[in-house]
Amino acid sequence: MIDIIQIIIESPFLQRALLAAILIAIIAAASGTFLVFRGLSFMASGVAHAALGGTALGIFLQDSGLVPWFDPILGALLFSVLVAAFTGYAGESGITQKMEVAVGVSFALSMSFAVFLMYYIPPYKVPLIWGYLIGDILLLNDLDIFMLGSTTLLLAVITLMFNKEFVYVSVDMEGSTAHGMNARAYHYLMLIVSALAIALATKAVGAILVYAIMVAPAAASNELVKSVRGVIFAVFLIALVAELVGIAASFVVFVSPSAIAGILAALSYILALQIKRVRDRVDVDIDDPDLSPDDLKETWNHAVTHEHEDGHEH
Amino acid sequence: MTATATPLIEAHDLAVRYPNGALALHHVSFEIKSPSFMAIIGPNGSGKSTLVKTALGLIKPSRGTIKVMGYDSQKKSGKIRKQVRYVPQRDRIDLTVPMKVKDIVLMGRLLKKLPPRFATSKDIAAAKDALQQVNMEDLWERPFPELSGGQRQRVLVARALASEGSILVLDEPLSGTDVESQNLIVNALRRYHKENDVSIIMITHDLNPIHTLVEDVLLLKNTVIGIGEPCSIMDPELIKKVYGPTAKVVEHSGHRYCMTHDSGLDRHD
Repeated sequence: MIDIIQIIIESPFLQRALLAAILIAIIAAASGTFLVFRGLSFMASGVAHAALGGTALGIFLQDSGLVPWFDPILGALLFSVLVAAFTGYAGESGITQKMEVAVGVSFALSMSFAVFLMYYIPPYKVPLIWGYLIGDILLLNDLDIFMLGSTTLLLAVITLMFNKEFVYVSVDMEGSTAHGMNARAYHYLMLIVSALAIALATKAVGAILVYAIMVAPAAASNELVKSVRGVIFAVFLIALVAELVGIAASFVVFVSPSAIAGILAALSYILALQIKRVRDRVDVDIDDPDLSPDDLKETWNHAVTHEHEDGHEH
Repeated sequence: MTATATPLIEAHDLAVRYPNGALALHHVSFEIKSPSFMAIIGPNGSGKSTLVKTALGLIKPSRGTIKVMGYDSQKKSGKIRKQVRYVPQRDRIDLTVPMKVKDIVLMGRLLKKLPPRFATSKDIAAAKDALQQVNMEDLWERPFPELSGGQRQRVLVARALASEGSILVLDEPLSGTDVESQNLIVNALRRYHKENDVSIIMITHDLNPIHTLVEDVLLLKNTVIGIGEPCSIMDPELIKKVYGPTAKVVEHSGHRYCMTHDSGLDRHD
């Protein structure tokens, strides 16, 4: 234990990685949860890949001397917000399918754009774009942590303030508007702040891991936990554990921490589905005597034995 | 209420299009006094929901105006929504979010507040009272997505009853519910309308379960086909015009019942 602390104290890159792991777990809890509630988990992927297209644009503009001050990260943020706004516009009526299509279209557009620009930027800079796809949590610098930290803070504060509104927009957008809430504003606020956080998380850990961490823990928790607050907390824990195990594993064996974290996050969803199946079966087996009157119980038992007989015949 | 009071709804030459461009409503002009228990009836796709959503400012009319309590649906939608409690069609409620019954009912009250929308003990008391009226008070902590269709509908009606505002708008609150839920909802609304100074606007494709308590009926089929008291609307000619030649009007113990393909007399005792 002391050894581990010793290592952490002596290696700033590890401190940054651990800090980033916590920040990304917060982003997953605050933004991933609501995207899954909203039926928009795909948007995490769309925004992350849009960030990649934006980075390509940034590199091109900077390198060609057209707009020298245009940092690639600005391009990433700009593209992400555009995708979020486009998705939001498609979903103003509250129809989820339209938003999914909007995400798909902007996903394709920004990836094509990135590939298009790759022919026009110097080859030694192309890996910078791929960095957005794969990422490495162990290679972050102080500025990365600072930007990720401030966006996470913004996202956390907004989610704490407006979590009820975000839930209401997800549950019943039409009804919320009719009762006088400005559902449209919250709809956009949620999507755009999430997009900012996802774009910066993409720079830190790569688009693929962002998608895994953003969606799988939230989907897993939503299967099992039955309150909004509980889901948010469970997402934070699953995401954090997945990332920490990923980082730890990369010290023991030759493996990318992102890969392990992504695999663990995805497994959490499969595990949740299994637990849910087992739990549903148990729920049916246990007969609560307080709930069912005697005559109903008899019918029930009868039905159950019948079912068993049927089962044997097949 | 005096005769000079502002009407509940007044529409002038209203035309509204569906998002796909098709005409949902055209040449709609009518006026309903306030307070009222009003039913909007008509077959599927006749523009009932569209009319109500336009009145609440959720859809922009392509021609004409509609006013609720004297407020224009486009210019003063904020004023209208302050008074409105709305029950959307049941399937518009997303079941992915792990809401409990209490969260849904409290929503009606909290939506009328400003952020951070904390629930006070008064809000909780009102929510419990509303649930009691639809016989759902024991399911306070139950996850909303696990309820049956009829139970969910009752919770949504409770959400409207718990909230505040002088106009209750319900979109198909009886569709797909069993007789028990139907009776509970109808009785709760009857009681609520009698005891409180509220107007109720109810969209339904079946007038029979509520025709003894409705005061005004608007019969729609993309335009106003008929308007008046329930028994004058239950006119064989009018009903045939809207529901097709197979629709019949039957008189039974002093009341007229409408028989169409989607509602049979066996549902009402």
